[in-house]
Amino acid sequence: MIWMAWRQHRRQVLFTLLAFAALAALMVPIGLAMRNSFADLGLPQCVRDLASAGVAPETRDSCEQGFHRFTNQYGALNLVAVLLLILPLLVGLFWGAPLVAREVEHGTHRFVWTQGISRQRWALVKVGLVGTVVLALAVCYGLGMSWWVDPLTKTAQEGRLGFIVFDLQGVVPIGYTLFAVALGIFAGTVWRRMLPAMAVTLFGYVGVRAAVEMLARPRYQPAETLTFPITGAEPQEGRGDWILANGIRDADGKMVLEGSRIMCPPADQMPQGRVCGEELGLGPGAYNWQLYQPADRFWLFQGIETGIFVALALLLVYLAVRWIRRIA
Amino acid sequence: MDVVLEADRLGKRYGNNWALRDCSLRLPAGRIAALVGPNGAGKSTLLHLAVGLLRPDAGTVRVFGESPYDNRGSLADIGFVAQDTPLYRDFTAAELVTAGAKLNQRWDGDLARNRLAQLGIPPDRPVGKLSGGQRAQVALALALAKRPRLLLLDEPVASLDPLARREFLQSLMGSVADAGTTVLLSSHLLADLERVCDYLIVLNAARVQLLGAADDIVADHRRLVGPRHDGGPIGGVAAVVRASHTDRQSTLLVRTDGPITDPSWTVREVALEDLILAYLADVDSTTSHSAWGVPA
Repeated sequence: MIWMAWRQHRRQVLFTLLAFAALAALMVPIGLAMRNSFADLGLPQCVRDLASAGVAPETRDSCEQGFHRFTNQYGALNLVAVLLLILPLLVGLFWGAPLVAREVEHGTHRFVWTQGISRQRWALVKVGLVGTVVLALAVCYGLGMSWWVDPLTKTAQEGRLGFIVFDLQGVVPIGYTLFAVALGIFAGTVWRRMLPAMAVTLFGYVGVRAAVEMLARPRYQPAETLTFPITGAEPQEGRGDWILANGIRDADGKMVLEGSRIMCPPADQMPQGRVCGEELGLGPGAYNWQLYQPADRFWLFQGIETGIFVALALLLVYLAVRWIRRIA
Repeated sequence: MDVVLEADRLGKRYGNNWALRDCSLRLPAGRIAALVGPNGAGKSTLLHLAVGLLRPDAGTVRVFGESPYDNRGSLADIGFVAQDTPLYRDFTAAELVTAGAKLNQRWDGDLARNRLAQLGIPPDRPVGKLSGGQRAQVALALALAKRPRLLLLDEPVASLDPLARREFLQSLMGSVADAGTTVLLSSHLLADLERVCDYLIVLNAARVQLLGAADDIVADHRRLVGPRHDGGPIGGVAAVVRASHTDRQSTLLVRTDGPITDPSWTVREVALEDLILAYLADVDSTTSHSAWGVPA
């Protein structure tokens, strides 16, 4: 049966590897150039400096300038990164959806299921082979992308926890890819036609990903709050924190200005007669408030999100294998 | 007498439609049986139930005494060629023979290779590029290489030209005669199978209409021609299958249960094909008329 599955899919494996190699040939030079510029601007040192408390304001300023120059040069690559987000979906569409649906469309399921092996065994070997290939690809993709986007994420204020960059690196691509393939297999088993199965995979994948990203991810851990006065020195914020919400509250804790923050010089340096925030209607005692996930929760969040998608993938594969018994 | 395939009030439903209903039959060992019926009569459903692709919704089906659904043991004894002979089109014939060896515990690869060599089928071309007749032969060779005790063929010759049909059936008969394999093959045309079959199952509108050895069926039926008949009993007639009347004369196709002694009837033998057509025509069309909203 393994011979059979390999014979059936070897061309697909070859094309997938070729596409993957072509993509790597395009991305690796860009990644190297990006890293060289990053090093030339002295930014690795900046990253280390800014991580520690009590950075000299001059260092901070020069580093911000360096990050700014880097962003000017390479910021457009964030769009490329967005495009790469669809890779797991493509694998789901072209590896998952046809796995059972194409057999049924060509009628070959009636050939292979009436030989001497059970359909469960057939399904498990096929899913196992496809799963292994896809897993290997996903690991390469995850590692490669972590390496590739690293300078971009270090430059971005929200760091690795931000939308899209979080989705591109670490272990989550593995979870997404396995989920996309499992969803494709499941859809192909239930709908038994390739086109509807691909459509279901497309919309199902985008829907589940968006739902998890928007609704679940900010709540993996209770978010922390940070409050600081609207006058005086800037607070020591961790670089790379994922800010979920911010605003200005009055002395009673009531939200006055959502989605903003203000920073006035200390009262004795204010232009004469003016009180910080007066023209905005802020009374005395108003303070900045923000809700955030600290940067050091990156791997915890990666683990939780990967776990969710791997569990969904296993569930879908289980249902698909059960469902296969109903096809004739 | 060994029974190979046995169905008891077997039924299969798709939504609200019964594809097969109340199907009871016993197929004795060693027969070459034809499963005849129009398109959509339930032939494929019956074969899929017999090979275990489908689970019955009513009744039971047994092959060699076992329920075939999801049963690897009975799969080993059944050779099956599905409708349109589906094969992996990018595999070569030689690769398909190898695939069979990987997928079956009992597998006679030499048998398949010898057959295909004899038929002049190239081993190294993808089967998708072979002609329909050659592809059917490949599918048959693969089914035979399992050395099955029961061979089920779903419309094996439907897509073949007349010459290829004859060759296919000849090669089929040649290979099952010695092994004593029981064969059940379906077709919507009896003419395809009449020469090779000695047993008959006529299926129409999801039900079995006629069943038995071909010789017995022919022996049991007669065509009677006589004065106009009003439906009273006739000595020796068990049932009237089909009647047609003119003003003075009636022609009846009947199943007999004894000699017909009434001298007013002229008694003739009936050809098997006419007999089957008579049974197939005898279908209730009331539901269809009501579905179309026209009077029956």
